[in-house]
Amino acid sequence: MFLDIKNLSVSVEGNQILHNFNLQINIGEVHAIMGPNGSGKSTLANVLAGKEDYEIHSGQIIFKNQNLFDLNIEERAKQGLFLAFQYPVEIPGVNITPFLHSSINSKLKSNNKDEIDNIEFAKLLRLKAKDLGIDKDMLKRSVNTGFSGGEKKRYEILQMSVLDPELAILDETDSGLDIDALKIVTEGVNKLKNQNNSFLIITHYQKLLDYISPNFVHVMMNGSIIKSGDKSVAADIEKNGFKIFQ
Amino acid sequence: MYIDKEYLENYKNLLFSDFEEVREERDNVLKKFVPIYFDKKNNESIKNVDNNKLANLNYNYKKPADVDSAIKNSNNSYTIKLFNGKCDNYKDENLEIKNIDSNDSKFFFNNKLANTSDFLIDLNSLFLNCGVKIIVNKNKNIDIKILNIVLEDGLTIFQKNLIICEEGSKVNLVEEYNNQNSSIHNIYNVFEVKKKSVLNQFVIQNNSKNHELYLSSYASCMKSSEYDQKVYNFSNGYVRNYHYSELVEENSTVSHIGFFFINSDNISDNKTYVRHLAANCQSNQIYKGVLTDKSKANYFSNTYVDKIAQKTEGYQLSKGILLSKDSTYFSKPELRIFADDVKCSHGSTIGPVDENAIFYLRSRGISKNTAIKMIISSFINDDLENISNEQIKSIVTKNLNEFLDNIV
Ligand SMILES: Nc1ncnc2c1ncn2[C@@H]1O[C@H](COP(=O)(O)OP(=O)(O)OP(=O)(O)O)[C@@H](O)[C@H]1O
Ligand SMILES: [Mg+2]
Repeated sequence: MFLDIKNLSVSVEGNQILHNFNLQINIGEVHAIMGPNGSGKSTLANVLAGKEDYEIHSGQIIFKNQNLFDLNIEERAKQGLFLAFQYPVEIPGVNITPFLHSSINSKLKSNNKDEIDNIEFAKLLRLKAKDLGIDKDMLKRSVNTGFSGGEKKRYEILQMSVLDPELAILDETDSGLDIDALKIVTEGVNKLKNQNNSFLIITHYQKLLDYISPNFVHVMMNGSIIKSGDKSVAADIEKNGFKIFQ
Repeated sequence: MYIDKEYLENYKNLLFSDFEEVREERDNVLKKFVPIYFDKKNNESIKNVDNNKLANLNYNYKKPADVDSAIKNSNNSYTIKLFNGKCDNYKDENLEIKNIDSNDSKFFFNNKLANTSDFLIDLNSLFLNCGVKIIVNKNKNIDIKILNIVLEDGLTIFQKNLIICEEGSKVNLVEEYNNQNSSIHNIYNVFEVKKKSVLNQFVIQNNSKNHELYLSSYASCMKSSEYDQKVYNFSNGYVRNYHYSELVEENSTVSHIGFFFINSDNISDNKTYVRHLAANCQSNQIYKGVLTDKSKANYFSNTYVDKIAQKTEGYQLSKGILLSKDSTYFSKPELRIFADDVKCSHGSTIGPVDENAIFYLRSRGISKNTAIKMIISSFINDDLENISNEQIKSIVTKNLNEFLDNIV
């Protein structure tokens, strides 16, 4: 099993958010999670990425045959986990290009691969940016600083395509994108998708799943998955809302 | 209160002790020290000064056995080593360097700064025991590096330097303080930035734990002159940076910019004070610091705009990153404006490193240490990039990296 989440219960500041959460993802699969606001989707994503403000009560997560909780945030990233944030944070003064350059090199280094130099990296970044319709002037700016909502989401996907993760978690990457941007971004995801990586896509809209075809759609409510099925589940939700699952 | 006793006992050894008018002035200054214990709250000049230490001053000054002369490195570049505030006299077509001796009592009174109520400058007048006068001739363009060297433990150095940039001169001045002994160094620099002259000053402080540095300065800026001061404090010991300037004539500009990087229980005590006394002048006062452990900093910035100083532009900023919950950075901006057509503003952002920013960077595979370093560097990167002097840039970068290596 590539990712195996078993009986995970998690609290934040005394409130339990995830209740006996279970999810298995095989390599090469695309899973979608849908669920009402506050059901715990971002909490799950943050716990997977290693954010430290959470209290894990019980359960375990196996990722690539390792206990995920044994790895810190950056180790998880170096092992191929990537989270595209729902709300990417602005970091003024930290320039996008050198930041991403150190990211990719720290990942290459930990996998015993050769690091790439400035020039080669600049080329790679410009190429990927072009694919995603990101202006090259934007690559001179500080991380997320002053970006529009849609620009932030595109920039998350740019980072994803540069880092080429094995497990990508997209937390509402579609929210805030205009229709053209949605097309460009989903094309980017589809281009990256292959038999050796997996995607966990959190979304509120069936529309996204028209572009990125999931193998499974899960419904999450009150911190656990209450139904799993194929794409038709998303159509159900779109039509009837979440009340049919209550 | 032992200051008066120390003063009387050591009077003969002070500079200008033969002059009656100096004695009178010093006696007046001494009176200010009587109520020192009662006045601390109301006087920001000693806010972070250890009163006991001040009162129990053990006066001890030694003339260096040997002094150096200024070294001319090339056509327009000089290195001056000041040992306990002294050096040899020197003169050429660009500049004159004169060791202060007890003959020229005018030097004692050369302090146009009226009523600062700064106890440390007063103390400097009281115990003045060394200093130099540097005159840069008209229209000369030169680089000067001053190394301030304190020779042994237990000294109390009260040094005053007078630096005159004559009309049309352009001076790049670097001052280094790199002292590893447990002495007290009270130094007061007076700058005369004459008409159309430009003074670019870099001050680099990297003293050890038991060394106390009280650096004060005062600059008078004449018509169309430019004075830029940048102070970098990487010291382990106590450092007080109090810098005053007056824009005396039109179209002059001044900036007082400071950076400090402190850890342990170290203190960085800062103040800048700009008086706009003429129209069409600009000033910047910016202090940025990174603090960790139990270190403590304060920054008082102050802009005074006289009623005739129309079209003044004045800006104040304090920025700080607190890396530990026990570190503190207190900032207090002040504006006193008596003219109506002015643009003045101030800003302040002081707080811990954004945890979400660290999480974000780490989630991209960057280690926690590197993430913190990236965020701290971002804080001064812009300023570093603007340093054109490569030597200074590399000294600052090296010290910054040493600081960063030690914090995490
Ligand atoms: N740091 C925190 N402190 C307190 N409560 C929190 C914290 N983080 C999350 N919560 C709470 O946990 C619950 C789940 O939040 P989460 O962000 O995981 O929801 P979500 O499913 O992603 O919702 P949305 O669809 O709106 O993005 C919410 O009720 C939220 O208020
Ligand atoms: Mg969410």
